[in-house]
Amino acid sequence: MQTLLNGAAAGGVYALVALGYTLVFSVLGVINFAQGALFSLGGYLTFLLMGGRISANGGLPGWGLPLALPFAPALLLAAMGAALASLLVERLAFAPLRQRNAEPLLSLITSLGAGLVLVNLLQLLMGAEGYAFPAGTLTGLPAAISLGGARIRSVQVLLLVICAAAVLLLTLWLERSRGGRALRAVAEDPTTARLLGIDSDAMVRLAFLLSGALAGLGGGLVGVSVSLPGPYFGIGYGLKGLAVLVLGGLGSVPGAIAGGLLMGLAEALVPADASGWRDALAFAILFAVLLLRPSGLLGRRLVEKV
Amino acid sequence: MLKLGAVIALTGNANLYGQDQRLGIALAQQWFNGRSRPKTPDSASPLTLELEDGGSDEATAIAAFNLLINAGALALIGPTLSQQAFAADPIAQRLGVPVVAPSNTAQGIPQIGRYISRVSAQSSVIAPLSLGEALRRDPSIRRVAVFYAQDDAYSAAETVIFQKALAARNLTPVTVQRTQLADNDFQNPITAALQLNPQLVVISVQAVAGGNLIRQLRELGYRGQIVVGNGLNTPNIYPICQRWCDGILIAQAYSPELDTPINRAFLRLHQRANPEQPPSQITAQAFTAYQVLAEAITRLEQQGGLRGQTLGQARSRLMQELLGGSYDTPLGPIRFRPDGEVVQGRFYVAEVRMQPDGRRGRFTLVRDLSLESDPQDPAPRPATKPSARGERP
Repeated sequence: MQTLLNGAAAGGVYALVALGYTLVFSVLGVINFAQGALFSLGGYLTFLLMGGRISANGGLPGWGLPLALPFAPALLLAAMGAALASLLVERLAFAPLRQRNAEPLLSLITSLGAGLVLVNLLQLLMGAEGYAFPAGTLTGLPAAISLGGARIRSVQVLLLVICAAAVLLLTLWLERSRGGRALRAVAEDPTTARLLGIDSDAMVRLAFLLSGALAGLGGGLVGVSVSLPGPYFGIGYGLKGLAVLVLGGLGSVPGAIAGGLLMGLAEALVPADASGWRDALAFAILFAVLLLRPSGLLGRRLVEKV
Repeated sequence: MLKLGAVIALTGNANLYGQDQRLGIALAQQWFNGRSRPKTPDSASPLTLELEDGGSDEATAIAAFNLLINAGALALIGPTLSQQAFAADPIAQRLGVPVVAPSNTAQGIPQIGRYISRVSAQSSVIAPLSLGEALRRDPSIRRVAVFYAQDDAYSAAETVIFQKALAARNLTPVTVQRTQLADNDFQNPITAALQLNPQLVVISVQAVAGGNLIRQLRELGYRGQIVVGNGLNTPNIYPICQRWCDGILIAQAYSPELDTPINRAFLRLHQRANPEQPPSQITAQAFTAYQVLAEAITRLEQQGGLRGQTLGQARSRLMQELLGGSYDTPLGPIRFRPDGEVVQGRFYVAEVRMQPDGRRGRFTLVRDLSLESDPQDPAPRPATKPSARGERP
């Protein structure tokens, strides 16, 4: 039970990050390497919106927003802020290359650059020290709860619930709504979608907005759970999300969810006194899955057309 | 113009220490510039300092070392992490450039070569002191859980020291949890360790991870004593573990409560720069690193200066002078062994006491220990002197 809970909590965040990658990959066929930086941004925005102040080593020592929102609205606004930043990344790092029909590989570099700039801007503004949310952030919740003999911090449970809800809502939206179906149509075949009157550029922007919101949501949740260790903290989650994207199958929404949970569980299954080897084991699983199924767990096999 | 170089982590995870170090070096510059230097041909030229970001990885530290050495630095201060020192120091050694490490505590740093020295006493001298304090408070402790970051040279070296000190007291850890440098979610290792009901937790990780580990240990219900290593020797952990920091024990090479003229001068300068909190050990050690170099240069000036010498000759003479001197520093009196290892006379055990708001705290002196640091002895047995203010009843 303890292992399941530990794995699900970590896996939920990985799935959230991987979904962000998936949305962009499915419409553009490229990976947005700025996703990790947007994850960091979400954490810092949540902190500032909750009344957090910049430390003495930041660019504006002692500065803070003139408001202190409760956690839930702060998290939502931070997700929106990260979504807008993601849109900006699309405009600056992807759109110009797309308009020039540049090699898709180039956008890997431009998005990586955009991510690094964003992280460095965060460092310039906030400093490099860690920030933690005030102890009473989740008012009314005990520090930890027992579930079936297992002990888990309440914030981890909350994180798991919100991640699951976000994933469920996004899946439903993609399946049932007009916008979601349009997005999937562009992902399936941009040319046909355009012929059907779908504005593919608008869908690309929508994909970036949603992926940014997911990253921001993840960053805010993880920030509350384990604090903000520094502007680079999202990069690690971004890399893990990338692995999950490949594990689940490039561009597959169910694959991203399954991959995230599998990765989280695999990490949790590593014997605790060998947890330093956790990443090695997780990536060994990735390697093994890709050897057996090169298209990932739920990815589609690519058929070359003539 | 005499130029020193400093390679400090201004970016990456170790930036937390780098910020403290930058402040320490800046304060030392203020202190040195405020003193009157002997009237010699050399002293007419200012002692300048060029600061380079050493990042938090080996490659950036190596690049910064190369840059400053090629720019003609007489000596270098840095790098921030032991892990980086093992990679970058051999370059300085090969080119005959003196290095003073302000914060490298892993075993074997000065042994990299004759140009490498440090003012940060190694873990084997300091780390066991806090353990002794925890066991003094509760002699019935038998079940100890150990946590360390296995991919970090400092953490891996320090945990060996801690575990040797435990073995010397006939204690075998009930569990040793290996984490990673970048970890911040410790749910797995903590829940595994707590199932073994430890009475004492000993932690060797870097600052932010340590703050998170302590917080999560407390949140998951651990109520026993916590002893932490040198990586958490910075007030920057307070915002992370907040009220959960309260009560952790740490051995230190510096105490703001040392009442000497140089420490008072250092405290005054620090108070002006950061009135919010007293200086950290890392700031004091960075101050000391600059101080010993500046004083060695001053002595060379008194002996006739470095004029007419090649840069290589000047660097060699400076290293010789540095190792030959003794220094009254904010850390207390120090000198160097011939191999560059610092010999320090006073160490401290402190307990973190957090204020009720849970945001601010301080390292409260618990015990003042006078011993001559001897790196050959992994578990020195000092004559201890309880602090009048910090000693528990």
